[in-house]
Amino acid sequence: MMLFPQIGRQDPALRFIALALVAGLAVLLVGLWHVQVVSGKRHLEAQQNQSMRTLRVPAVRGQITDRHHQPLAFDRPVYHVNAYLDELRPHFQQEYRRRRTPGKLTRAQVSALEKQVRFNTVSNFVNQLRLPVPMTLTEPQLHWHYTNKLALPLPVVRDLTPAQVAVFMERGGAVPGLDVAVASSRTYPHAAAAHLIGYLKRDDSSSEDEDSFYHYRMPDFVGRTGIESLFDQKLRGRAGTRTMLVNNLGYRQSEHMSTPAGAGHNVVLTLDLAIQRAAEQALATARPDVEGAVVVMDPTNGDILAIASAPTFNPGDFVPRIDSDAWDRLRDPQLRPLILRATQERYPPGSIFKIITGLAALEAGGLNPAEIFSSPGHFQLGRRTIKDTAPAGNYNFRRAFIHSSNTYFIHHALQAGPDRLTEMGERFFLGKSTGLLPGQEVAGQFPDRAKLREGWAPGDTANLSIGQGPVTVTPLQMAVMTSAVVNGGKVWWPRLVDRIESPEADAVNPVEQFPAARLRGDLNVNPKNLDTIRDAMLADVEDPEGTGRRAAVPGMKIGGKTGTAEVQRGGRNVDKITWFVSFAPYENPKYVVVVMIESGSSGGGTCAPVAQKIYRAIQQLERSRSLPSVTQVNR
Amino acid sequence: MFDAALTTHQRRLRPDGLLLFALLGLMALGVAFIYSARAAHEASALIAWHKQLHFRQIIWYSLGMIGAVLVCLKDYRTIARWSLVFYWGTTLLLVAVLIPGIGAMRYGARRWIDLGLFQLQPSEFAKLAVILAMAQFLSRPQEELRQPRTLLKAFGLMALPFLLVLKEPDLGSALMIVPPGLAMLYVGGVPTQFLKRFMGGGAIFVLLLVVSILFAPPKWQVIKLEDYQKRRLLVYFGMNYAPANATPAERARALADQRRDSYNVEQAMISVGSGGLTGKGWRQGTQNALGYLPRGVAHNDFIFSVIAEESGFVGSLFVLALYATVLFAGIRIASQTRDRLGKLLAVGVVTLLFSHVFVNIGMNIRLMPVTGVPLPLLSYGGSSVICSLVAAGLLQNVHLHQKSL
Repeated sequence: MMLFPQIGRQDPALRFIALALVAGLAVLLVGLWHVQVVSGKRHLEAQQNQSMRTLRVPAVRGQITDRHHQPLAFDRPVYHVNAYLDELRPHFQQEYRRRRTPGKLTRAQVSALEKQVRFNTVSNFVNQLRLPVPMTLTEPQLHWHYTNKLALPLPVVRDLTPAQVAVFMERGGAVPGLDVAVASSRTYPHAAAAHLIGYLKRDDSSSEDEDSFYHYRMPDFVGRTGIESLFDQKLRGRAGTRTMLVNNLGYRQSEHMSTPAGAGHNVVLTLDLAIQRAAEQALATARPDVEGAVVVMDPTNGDILAIASAPTFNPGDFVPRIDSDAWDRLRDPQLRPLILRATQERYPPGSIFKIITGLAALEAGGLNPAEIFSSPGHFQLGRRTIKDTAPAGNYNFRRAFIHSSNTYFIHHALQAGPDRLTEMGERFFLGKSTGLLPGQEVAGQFPDRAKLREGWAPGDTANLSIGQGPVTVTPLQMAVMTSAVVNGGKVWWPRLVDRIESPEADAVNPVEQFPAARLRGDLNVNPKNLDTIRDAMLADVEDPEGTGRRAAVPGMKIGGKTGTAEVQRGGRNVDKITWFVSFAPYENPKYVVVVMIESGSSGGGTCAPVAQKIYRAIQQLERSRSLPSVTQVNR
Repeated sequence: MFDAALTTHQRRLRPDGLLLFALLGLMALGVAFIYSARAAHEASALIAWHKQLHFRQIIWYSLGMIGAVLVCLKDYRTIARWSLVFYWGTTLLLVAVLIPGIGAMRYGARRWIDLGLFQLQPSEFAKLAVILAMAQFLSRPQEELRQPRTLLKAFGLMALPFLLVLKEPDLGSALMIVPPGLAMLYVGGVPTQFLKRFMGGGAIFVLLLVVSILFAPPKWQVIKLEDYQKRRLLVYFGMNYAPANATPAERARALADQRRDSYNVEQAMISVGSGGLTGKGWRQGTQNALGYLPRGVAHNDFIFSVIAEESGFVGSLFVLALYATVLFAGIRIASQTRDRLGKLLAVGVVTLLFSHVFVNIGMNIRLMPVTGVPLPLLSYGGSSVICSLVAAGLLQNVHLHQKSL
């Protein structure tokens, strides 16, 4: 073109301008070269990161089972019909074109029509499947999903039965954009041991050690109470990540699992589902709308075999989320079904405390079990008369125990003195938590020595000796106490979790075992005195005059002690807490059963029959399990 | 026969083919990539075809070309005689746009007059008016240009629209008036020492201004920029928003603001850069489609990043080549014309187009701070397209009507 020489010769000013233009364009060229070619790769990576969508995929939550691997909580596979919007998109457009009326539409009309078209398209396709279940999707839900989670599949029909899955497999091929996907749903068979297992709450957040940035999260749950909460980290496993490449419209283009989810660990409890169920059923039969608790414990090692608490709830109601009516019922201030009454509530022990009073008096040496004590039928302490349900008459230890004579035990407690009484209580760790379920346990109350020194009157000793006044306990503490009395004086840490099993067989630590029979303390008492108590307990059930006679089961030697504690408010008796603590078999105790029922009539009348039903179930269970073939089948 | 007569007698009466070819190329690219920038949105397929932006851009091109042809019908000397009418007319519009009720407020600035069918942006026409008026004013005998009084008048011609546009506020458009003005003064023969002094003074002033904005405490700042202008400068220089003595809460808020403000620039960089050597293909760009590149600007101020992402460095090179063709065709026209008026007009138009191209593309690759300067013919927008084409028409006019030797 001969451009520059020409310009140069004729006009230096113009030449300068031309050079400036060349320089400017060169700067742009170099800049573009640098951005697009030299550092293009870096920008491409930045851009690809922006086109990735990551999805948090929670792991299958671990199982919670009883000691025989019977499931108490597990993730059940559920089948949903999912709509894939990327595949449905052409159909949306087709439908839109078909339904669009000629003429002008405002922006609002267009977007309303679009929404309607999308919903109609999806529901038409779902109808073509002719499944016998209705579509669970609503138009607002679809719109929300469309705007917020375009790249994700959208569940349109939830929870198909296997038969419905088969129907889908037959017809689904003809319908575009729909497919069956498997998800999981937490299931609690029989809702057994609800309080111990706990319940879940929707929570999609990341745990501490995992990636916290995700575009989308699939529904995940966190344990709120019980084992579900205590071992949440273990049960939850490790969430996986699915990454999706989206195309230039935000629709899913391809996807792959970048980190597979690591299944959660299984928690094996010490519970025995059969006994647990028997305990729950027995407790429920005490009376309609019973409020109470049962603890069944192995006195040889402190293992919890069953803990029932009534009223109870169904943890399954919390999945996927609890409706507000059910939630209101669970928060009833009177019934408080979420409270684990075996550990979370303090109760006056009443006459079952006489086991401790008797042991303290026997150890003090002032009490000769054979010596006859003449009771006037009430106890006179200064000007105060303490009434007695046991009639006037002559009592030795055994007779006083099975009639639960207040007069006898107050007399001997005063003789032994409050120090020996509280010291014996401390050996049972009264007033201290057992640590079974932290956060779901109260410590109870028990007078310490400091309290004895300030303003302690003989009247307080009298009250304490019959389980009234400044002492409250939990049913679990009473089970530990009873165990120690019948196992030769060993106070266990109660144990609920036996082991945690890794889902991977080749894990470094496939099983995390929690040691059984952890000794918390020893009673250090004369075995002869323990025998005296045990004999008296056996008599309480076996003797026709015993208060616990209604717990008797033919073919089983059961020992027990009843208790009926007065709940006083403002100096008046407002309620009764009834108790029955027991063990069996007498010769070689393997079971401790503690029954506590609020507002019962008496320990013998209300609680002993419940214990009897539990023992009967245990008896049957032992018989069936002693037959090896049946055992095999049960496994 | 008539054609033959034309070619033999007035061989010069043919438009500059190279210029025409480059302009058509740019317009074709403009339609294609405005379509691409908009098509990504789900809703756009459902908008009536005659309402889609790429179609409307074709209308603006057509109107612009009609304008260009009309401009070519009369000799540029005749047109230049009317330059002052045009100049005061646009000045009036520039004043009008500042009046609430006439000027439409958008993004915190009054830059548009809403005419219902389209929004007139007077600052675009003002650039053209300044070039015409300056060319006419400077085409007087060279001796007069040495007089300071004449010079002052020339600066006054530039300063009035400059200040009015600045008031909108639209610093970017206002600054676009300066390079053509200076180039025309230079080519027109104003003594270089005047220009050197002016440019030196201007450079020192700008330097001081930038330094004071970036570093001085607020009460020391004599000239206060609009907040958004200040922030764009801070982003451009990669400075922290938070003053040194800020509390942690203020610092966090400032950081969030900064992220938001530097977002456009970063996303434009990613768009341009991720195009690589050959690009992702037409309509395959994800930056704009996924909304990383804000949808409001992808088809106008940031159209270049859409082109660069989808056609890569090769495409960028092609765009630059088209602009270079336009610019050097203009320079050639300037050098071939015999009278000062024609040369000044051509230089003015060329410099104006170049300034736009440099600032807009520079802003996409962070060479320049973000301003609302459109990319001539490629960015969507009626006023800009029509003015660019009319300016190109002026170039053709100079080419067609130059005095033959």
